[in-house]
Amino acid sequence: MVLHLLGVNLPENKIVRVALTYFYGIGHKTAQRICSKLSIHKTCKLHELSESQIQQISMELSNMKIETDLKREVINNIMHHRSIGTYKGKRHAMGYPVRGQRTKTNARTARRLNGRWIRKEGFST
Amino acid sequence: MQRTLAVLARSAWKGPFFVKLPEFRQAQTTGQPIKTTARSCTILPIFVGLKFLVHNGKDYIPVTITEEMVGHKLGEFSPTRKKFSFRKTKNK
Repeated sequence: MVLHLLGVNLPENKIVRVALTYFYGIGHKTAQRICSKLSIHKTCKLHELSESQIQQISMELSNMKIETDLKREVINNIMHHRSIGTYKGKRHAMGYPVRGQRTKTNARTARRLNGRWIRKEGFST
Repeated sequence: MQRTLAVLARSAWKGPFFVKLPEFRQAQTTGQPIKTTARSCTILPIFVGLKFLVHNGKDYIPVTITEEMVGHKLGEFSPTRKKFSFRKTKNK
């Protein structure tokens, strides 16, 4: 039922285009592009793919920056701001919105996401 | 320099935006901090190692330029807002 590809569990009964978006860093646009590049038709499901096609997909994905590589890049970009002490870095560390949004109300996404792992690591760079 | 900064940058033919600093030569030789209000001035590679006093609307905040700061603006390193904290009133 489940296909294991590059450390991600993909549901086999999904359309390939949709299933590819389970990767961090692949959206609908990129998934569509991969499908058309490997000439996989629109309604093709994951369990209908042949071995060689799956291999082609994994080849394609291994050349892209997805999952941990991408996550690390995001963290490094934030850490860059943090280490040189910019305003952006400070906002990240405090868990506030970075791009000038209001903080009187709302700002829930920033509170949820920003600076979470910085606080977890105890401000270590 | 970050990739996103390069992508979202202004036209290449304009070059980076910077303000002429009259004390620049003097600061290079003597190592004096440059007092400036030009927060929007891009940090150029020749600024590395210099000291600045960047205005934040009230005070001049000391900033020492390192290599990683190149491409950012001077204003990014002198915060304009104070963190809110409750204070007891003097006259009750």
